[in-house]
Amino acid sequence: MKQILNIAYYEVVHIFKDRILFLIVFVVPLLYASLIGMIYASSILQHVPLGIVDLDNSVKSRTLASAFENTNNFKVIPEINTYAGLERGMKNGTVRAGVVIPADYSQKLSQHRLTQILTVYDGSNLIYGFNTRRYFQQVLNTFSADHTAAYLGGLGMSKQEITNVIDTVSVNMQIWFNPTYSYSTFIFPGLVLLILHQIGLLGIGLTITREKERNSWIQYLCAAVPQWKIFIGKALPYLIVNFFNYSLLLWVADRFVNVKVEGSPALILLLGLLFNLIITSLGFVVSLYSPNSLQVVRYLMLLSIPLFFISGYNWPGIQMPTLIYGMSRLFPYTWMAEGFRWVTVKDLELNYLNTTIIMLAIIAVVTSFFASSFSKRRNPLTEKGVTVNSDSTYPSKDLLH
Amino acid sequence: MFKQCLVIMKREIFFMWRDQSLRNILIAGPLFGLFLFMGIYNHPRIDNISTAIVDLDRSSASRQVIAELKNTQDLKVITYPNSFEQLEELIKREQVIVGVVIPENYGKNIALHRHTKVAVLIDGANITYATNAASAVLTVTRTLGAEVGVKTLVARGIQPDQAKEAYQSIDFREEAWFNPTLNYAYFLVLPLVLNIWQQCCMLASCMNIIGENGVRSWLQIKASGISSFKLFFCKSIVHIFIYMLIVLPVYFLAFVFFKLPLNCGFIIFLLFTLVFTISLHSIGTLISSFSRNAVDASRFGMVIALPSFVISGFTWPIAAMPHWFQSLTWVLPQTWFFQGINYLVFKNQGWEFMVNYFLMLGMMSIICYSLAALFTHGFKAHFR
Repeated sequence: MKQILNIAYYEVVHIFKDRILFLIVFVVPLLYASLIGMIYASSILQHVPLGIVDLDNSVKSRTLASAFENTNNFKVIPEINTYAGLERGMKNGTVRAGVVIPADYSQKLSQHRLTQILTVYDGSNLIYGFNTRRYFQQVLNTFSADHTAAYLGGLGMSKQEITNVIDTVSVNMQIWFNPTYSYSTFIFPGLVLLILHQIGLLGIGLTITREKERNSWIQYLCAAVPQWKIFIGKALPYLIVNFFNYSLLLWVADRFVNVKVEGSPALILLLGLLFNLIITSLGFVVSLYSPNSLQVVRYLMLLSIPLFFISGYNWPGIQMPTLIYGMSRLFPYTWMAEGFRWVTVKDLELNYLNTTIIMLAIIAVVTSFFASSFSKRRNPLTEKGVTVNSDSTYPSKDLLH
Repeated sequence: MFKQCLVIMKREIFFMWRDQSLRNILIAGPLFGLFLFMGIYNHPRIDNISTAIVDLDRSSASRQVIAELKNTQDLKVITYPNSFEQLEELIKREQVIVGVVIPENYGKNIALHRHTKVAVLIDGANITYATNAASAVLTVTRTLGAEVGVKTLVARGIQPDQAKEAYQSIDFREEAWFNPTLNYAYFLVLPLVLNIWQQCCMLASCMNIIGENGVRSWLQIKASGISSFKLFFCKSIVHIFIYMLIVLPVYFLAFVFFKLPLNCGFIIFLLFTLVFTISLHSIGTLISSFSRNAVDASRFGMVIALPSFVISGFTWPIAAMPHWFQSLTWVLPQTWFFQGINYLVFKNQGWEFMVNYFLMLGMMSIICYSLAALFTHGFKAHFR
C-alpha cells in the first residue's frame, strides 16, 4: 500500500509541477464545459429571421402574416418584403425562412378557388432547416383551423357547431423526455462526456512518456514493484481528479446550463466510475506504448470528432451502415453516451441498462488487465539512440539551456 | 539568395517527412475523415422513422389513420403493439421513435360527430429524430383533420364543394432552398472533414518555430547567419503548400467522387481555403513562438482547434448564442472559414460578399505573424 501511495504522491508532484498539465487536468474540463454551456445557453432555437412577401396586401393576407408575427419561433424582418429581397436575404443570411403570399390570394379565396402559400426555409443549415420546417407546420395548422372556423362561420354555423366539427379528431402530440426540444439537454451531456474522455486520456497519457523522456522509467522497470502497483499508483491521482471533474461538470450542467439531469444517482455514479476506470487504464496503456508525449497529444486529440459522430449520439446509429455502427460499439464512449442519456434524460432503471453496464465493465476489465500486466523487460537500445523502449525526444527549448 | 531559400524549403520538406506521426496525420487524417463521415451519412436523410401504432379501435376509420401514416415517407410503421404499456416499453428501449394510439370507439365517435383524440408520442431524447418526426406528424394531422372534417360537414348537410373548400382552399407548399432534399451529408460532411484537416494543419503549424529553436541545430543556424525572417518565411511557404496539397485530394473526392455540392467557382473556393490556411498557419506559428516545447505547442494548438468547430456556429447558429458571446466567436479564423464555406458551397456568394471574409482572415494572419516575430525576437535576445 505504501508503495502505491509513494508512486501516487510522486505523480501528484508532477501534476503540480507541470503548469500546463495542471491546467489541463483541473481547469480545461470546466473551461470547455462553460464555453459549450454558454454556446447552448438559449437551448431552443427561436426567433428564426423570417421574411414575409405579401404580394396581395389585403386584410386576409395580413391575417396570415400576423399568424407568423404572433409566435416567438419567428422574428419577422420587415425590410424583406419582395421576392427578390427574400432571395437576397436567404443568400446573405439576413433571413432563414420566408413566406410568399400570392397577389391574388384574397381574390381567389373570395372566388372559392384554390390558392397557394409558399413557405421556404434555408436547407444549407439543417439546424435551422429542420426547426423552421416544424415551426411552419405548427403555424399553418393553427392558421388552417382558424381559416376553416371563419369559413364555417360564414356558412351560418354557430361557435359550438364549428368547435364540434373542427375538434372531431384532435391529435394530442407529446414529446417525451425532452418536451421543449432543448438542444442543451440533447447535445451538452454528450459533449461533456467527450471532454472528460479526451482530457482524461490526455492527462494520464503523458504519465509514462514523461518518465521515458526523463529517463526515469527505467527505475520503475528495475524496481521490485509489481506492474499492477505501478498502474494503480500512477492512475490513482487521475482517477480521483477525473471523478471530481465528472461530478463537477454534471453539477454545472444541472445548475447553470439547465440540462435535464434526472435518474438514479447510484446509476450515474456507477456509469461514471466505470467510464473513469476505462479512460484512466486506457490512457495508461496508450502512454506505455507511445514513444513520447508529442505523439500522445497529436493522436489523442484528433480522435474527438470521429468518436463523437460515430457514436450515434447525434446522428442515429440505425441510419449508419452496420459495419460503422458495429465498429462504434467497440468504443467506450458510445456505450457511456447512450447509457448516460438513458439514465439522465429518460430516467430509466437498471434493467434497461444491463447491456450497457456489462459492456462497460468488460471494457474496463480488459483495459485494466493490459494496464496492469505490461512487460517489465527493457528493450535493447537501437541505432537511433533510443533511451527506453523507443525514441523519446521532441523539440524543447530546455535542450538549449 | 533564392538558392538559399530553395535549400531551406527542401530541408523543411525532408524534416516534415521524417516526422513520422506528423506525416501519418497529414496524409491519412483528412482522407480517413472523409471516408468515415461519408460512411456515417451514407443514408443522409432522416426518413422511415420507426413508428408503432396501437390500434384499440380496429375499425375502418382507424385503418384510414394507419393508411395516412403509412403514406408519409418520413414515418415507417414497423409494429402494432397491443397496449399502451407495450408501446411505452418500445419507446423507452428506442426500438420505435414515434408511437400513435388510436382510442377505442374512434370510428364510432367520428360517425356520431363526437370528439375523439388520437395520441402521438415522440421520443424527444434525440432532437434530430424528434424534430423530423414532429414535422411529419403535423403534416399527417392536417391532412387527416381535413378529411374527417369534410366528411363531418357533408354528413351535416353541407355541400361537398363547400365542405372541401372549408378545409382545402389554401394549399401550403414548402421548399427547402439550397439543399432541397435536406441532405445531412451535404450539410455536414465537408465541414467535418475540413475540421479534421484544420486540426492536422494546426498540429503541424505548431512545430514551425519550436521545431527550430527547440533543437540543438538552432545554434548552427544562428552561427550560419541566416536571417530568422528568411528561414521561417521559407518554412511557412512549404507548410502552406503542403496543407493545400493535402486538401486537394479531399476536394477531388468530395466534389467529383462523392458528388457533394459546390455551387461557387472552384477558383474562389480554393483561394478562400488558401487564405484560411495562411491564417491558421499564422496562429500555429504564434503558438510555437511562445511555447516552451513541442508538446506544449501541440496542446495549446489543440485547445484552440478542438472547440473551434462548435464555436464557429456550424452546429448551433451564432444568432442563437448569447449576444455578448456572438462577437467573440468571430475572433477565431475557423468561424470565418466555416461560415464562408457554407455561403460558398450552397449559396454561391460572389466576391462582393466574400471580400470581407478574405480581408478578416488576411488581417488575422498579419497580426499573428507579427506577434510570432516579436516572440521569436524576444527569445533570440534572451538567448544572446
